[in-house]
Amino acid sequence: MPEKIISFLLQLRPDWGLLSMGIIMVALVLFYWRFERYSITAREVALIAALATIAAVSRIPFAPLPSIQPTTFIVIISGFVLGPPAGFMVGSTAALVSNFFLGQGPWTPWQMWGWGLAGLLAGFIKITFPNTGSRGLLIFCFFWGYIFGWTMNLWSWMAFFHPLSWTSFIATCAASFWFDTLHAVGNVAFYWLFGPTFLKILRRYSRKLRVRQILWVEEG
Amino acid sequence: MWVSFQYQDNRRLLQHLHPVAALVYLGVLGGLTLVFAHPLYLLGLLVVILLAIQAVDGLKGWELCLKFTLGMSLLILLINLLVVRAGETVIWWGPRLPVLGELTISVEAICYAATMCVRLLDILSVFYLFNRMLHPDQVLRLFSRFAAQSALVLSLSTRMFPFLLREVHNLQEVLSIRGVDFRKGTGKERLQKYLSLFNLLLLNALENSLETAEAMQARAFASGPRSRYRKEVFRPRDFLCLTGSLLALFVTIYGQIYNYSTFHFYPQLGYLISNTMTLVVLGIILVLLSLPIIISWGWQHCPYFNARI
Repeated sequence: MPEKIISFLLQLRPDWGLLSMGIIMVALVLFYWRFERYSITAREVALIAALATIAAVSRIPFAPLPSIQPTTFIVIISGFVLGPPAGFMVGSTAALVSNFFLGQGPWTPWQMWGWGLAGLLAGFIKITFPNTGSRGLLIFCFFWGYIFGWTMNLWSWMAFFHPLSWTSFIATCAASFWFDTLHAVGNVAFYWLFGPTFLKILRRYSRKLRVRQILWVEEG
Repeated sequence: MWVSFQYQDNRRLLQHLHPVAALVYLGVLGGLTLVFAHPLYLLGLLVVILLAIQAVDGLKGWELCLKFTLGMSLLILLINLLVVRAGETVIWWGPRLPVLGELTISVEAICYAATMCVRLLDILSVFYLFNRMLHPDQVLRLFSRFAAQSALVLSLSTRMFPFLLREVHNLQEVLSIRGVDFRKGTGKERLQKYLSLFNLLLLNALENSLETAEAMQARAFASGPRSRYRKEVFRPRDFLCLTGSLLALFVTIYGQIYNYSTFHFYPQLGYLISNTMTLVVLGIILVLLSLPIIISWGWQHCPYFNARI
């Protein structure tokens, strides 16, 4: 029996579709678990929820256009201003909530991962390179269009192609090249149009998050 | 178009299961579609999923899944046929291409691609069933026990979503009353109008979020353990569905260990029915997974059964 179980596990190993879905789910659970460990104020919760909703709602008018969606740039700016944990939450929540209305699918965990990671990395960019300006964010927005597409391709490549090879992965990415390019160009256009104002407004509100409590002690 | 993907309460038993029982059932269905590569097993699963979709009155909207699968199938077929060279029964030799090398099409690649199209339809149908079977609030309530902060963010966002959509229309109306016509003007002018609409929406949403935060603080947010006002009851029907799903999972593991439910495509196609156990294991799994559908039928048509479960 143990040999049978070992051979079964070995047999399961090449089923990368199941395995990759499992890995993504575990990674998401770990990120959410980390978020639970932060002591968070009501203002932060409400702001993250509001930004996630804006990012989710912005998908609706652009839903008929393939891959053009302002969600990515909203998530990146949120992560950049509010920090990595908030960035991840805005991205992953936007994916999950918008799919409650647009339809959940096998793409949901991958979108949560792709957008969550965009917010998280934008936050880390701000920490590592505090002087990053619009040009840096524009480049990040552009490349994330492709990285997001390749992340989404990973699962379909692992679940529906066998045996796995670099040629089949490149072919899968080639099939989505124009969609990824539209996403990347769309991100740049949205950032160029709305980015500076969005950054200014969000910075102002992020300052409102910090509340100082002053203890007043009356003499006598 | 998207409405058919959203939850609609049709007063069916599957929509009123305990969230744990419902999530385990859907999780087992989804997991099995990824475990099986055997064409008969994937087709059998599709039949069960379709019966479950019928049990929640969602067969009409399922056509969207079919259309989406047809679109994606073309890609799966093309890449599998043109790139994969693992099959031995080659039926067509094509020209040599710079990156792809010599083009060959094998029977094995065709069969594998066709089976993967069925798998895709299975997975999409499971998620469609998820959309129709479980209300987002049920899932969020369940997760709020383990991850209160994350569930609260998700819950707030789900509540704000329809509100913000209405807000877009309201702002558009207010702006048009003030003389802003979104259909008139050059491209640049129209863009500027949408830019101001976006900024207003953003400011409104952020301002409302501060009000929400104040309301949360007034209700003692984070001052102690989270209050729960609703308790989900675990009924006999939930126990039956949960047992059926878990038994189906165990039978699947047994079938996979002893190779009754496995199928190999490369280098040559295996036997579709290698022995009678292939059909026996398939039958048991399908019956166990159909248990919630049978219970649902009984719940609807037999008042005594309805009262007992």
